Amino acid sequence: MLTVEKATFTESAIGMLARHATPFLFFTGKGGVGKTSVACAVGVALADTGSRVLIVSTDPASNLDEVLATDLSDAPRPVNGLENLYASNLDPEVAAASYRDALIGPYRGVLPDATVASMEEQLSGACTVEIAAFNEFAKLVGDESATVGYDVVIFDTAPTGHTLRLLTLPTAWTDFIETNTSGNSCLGPLAGLNAQRELYARTVEALADGGKTTLVLVSRADTSALAEAARSSEELADLGIRNQVLVLNGLFTATTVGDPIASALERRGAEALTHMPPALASLPRVEIPLLVRSPLGMKGLRLLAEATPGAGQPAGAMSAETASFPGASSMSALIDEIAATGSGVVMTMGKGGVGKTSIAAAIALELVRRGHSVHLSTTDPAAHVAQAIAGFSGGLTLSRIDPEVEVEAYRTQVLAGATGLEPEALSLLQEDLRSPCTEEIAIFRAFARVVAEASDRFVILDTAPTGHTLLLIDSSEAYHREVMRNTTDTPPEVLALLPRLRDPDFTKVLIVTLAEATPVSEARRLQTDLARAGIASYAWVVNQSLAETATTDPVLRARGLNEIPHIDAVIDREHRVAIVPWVSEPPVGEGLFALVGGGQPGE
Amino acid sequence: MTARVQVYDPAMCCSTGVCGPTVDPDLIRFARDLAWLRHHDITVDRYNLAQEPGAFVDNATILAALQTEGPECLPIVLVDGDRIADAGYPTREYLIGLLASKVGD
Repeated sequence: MLTVEKATFTESAIGMLARHATPFLFFTGKGGVGKTSVACAVGVALADTGSRVLIVSTDPASNLDEVLATDLSDAPRPVNGLENLYASNLDPEVAAASYRDALIGPYRGVLPDATVASMEEQLSGACTVEIAAFNEFAKLVGDESATVGYDVVIFDTAPTGHTLRLLTLPTAWTDFIETNTSGNSCLGPLAGLNAQRELYARTVEALADGGKTTLVLVSRADTSALAEAARSSEELADLGIRNQVLVLNGLFTATTVGDPIASALERRGAEALTHMPPALASLPRVEIPLLVRSPLGMKGLRLLAEATPGAGQPAGAMSAETASFPGASSMSALIDEIAATGSGVVMTMGKGGVGKTSIAAAIALELVRRGHSVHLSTTDPAAHVAQAIAGFSGGLTLSRIDPEVEVEAYRTQVLAGATGLEPEALSLLQEDLRSPCTEEIAIFRAFARVVAEASDRFVILDTAPTGHTLLLIDSSEAYHREVMRNTTDTPPEVLALLPRLRDPDFTKVLIVTLAEATPVSEARRLQTDLARAGIASYAWVVNQSLAETATTDPVLRARGLNEIPHIDAVIDREHRVAIVPWVSEPPVGEGLFALVGGGQPGE
Repeated sequence: MTARVQVYDPAMCCSTGVCGPTVDPDLIRFARDLAWLRHHDITVDRYNLAQEPGAFVDNATILAALQTEGPECLPIVLVDGDRIADAGYPTREYLIGLLASKVGD
């Protein structure tokens, strides 16, 4: 087992990770924490010292090409400008799609079109993609001949606990792979791969070998990013992956005195680190300072690789001139339009870490302030909105969709009907209940309950089902109608849901993003997925933008300038875009009003 | 001769159906009943349309049903090759009735 001592001023965090590298490095962390950049910087540092390195992404939304400034494919290619460094993108959605095509292709025209369509939708789920991703790991980790010639293989993603548990369940293998007759599980995408059983077993074994595998947990000094890293750490440690290192990325130290944005950012980071979950606090840790731009290309990656805490930053205050975007709207203008309809659903969607919960809460409060009746349903226990509405006459009701509570209720309900099941079948069922698809379904049920309330008031939601879930429910409903020739026990609010979500007068979807490359491309993918279910987005919200603030801190100012091309690109494509400047007050309670003021923070 | 039960499921994510849109207690009940049948030396084969479409094409009864009735005919249960009358997943009692002579032998 390796240990990594705390970073000192003499060695960079990346240098230390490289020096202690095991043959396989897996990077994991919440969206937006900089996994790919850190993974690539470690790869560059290793290659610079003579190791032969392969970097692999299994993220369907990989930005490895952009970070390495190299056109990549699913076969390893040399990275521009560097000897010894190779990289490839193994897109599990592509792998899942070719699996799907290979499976379904021969039956087109043989089975009825509607039958083929139902097969395709079933094979488009999160489970299929997740297992396909593991399949890509296994080909490299479990088969030594596949990585001959490489000293280190770096993955910018890691397997999930759900996948690993499925693969270690003997039932899953004996029932599904060996006999393939007693039913299927989330392992479905591996059907017909019995020959690879040994490979998966070796893969799981290599993952648990601390001499071979290191799990690198990447986080920012942010409460929810730290919580997610802690969850992965505990879950994967339970499955034997105990050689773990924590990387704290993007740590910010203010260099100018009296800049309210800079000091607030520094304070918030320090606060989050003070309350770091115990699972992380005990891990070896390295720290990387906030850089002025996302490290792209060799030059950027070397800067990241050399960054030591507190060093290498531009000095001196910069001009406080703010950028302006004439094509953009403001939150207050957006809310004017929403308020004019008098009722309906507003959903904020976006990847983790973009602040969709704060935006949802701020819209709810502003509508209440304007005298509307509003129901806010949030997944965030810490939004502290209740205290902010004291003093307004309009009514705000609050509810919370807690994914854990919803999944647990669903699990209990299902297991209550499963008494008398053989122990092996029961453990397979229990694992099915932990699949990403199951979580989607459980949250969906809570979601449908809340949406039904929006006929005579506003309902604001910071969560939304995926296009896949919506299509699955739609096709299943059609199926039930046909088969049963009567209505099922499907609640009426579920039946009404999809037509309501597809009605732009009833439902407004706000896509929330940050003005950076990866969050914008991820937001586009969300938009495409929703469009698949016939739901159009209403507006984009570019959140936490430094470009429009008056900060003079050199690092923050430079970051603000780097946002401009991303904001311009969003404005070019979307017809309604609101920009929300970074605010110095934490966006909770009264502080939420700063998000919808449409002017400078603290107004 | 051993009795044989074949189950042709509609496209499902998993055999328990918990990944599906609504909880279907019938699926779990049925999985349990199939386990019971296996325990009593009945051969049970189960096919999921989303994962083993070949089985649906290879069986003339199933292919004909899909072509004339559409995918809504699923699930179909065959006992020794004959389609049982019940739509949906039959109860254990119903299956026992059909299989009685063979189980009793």
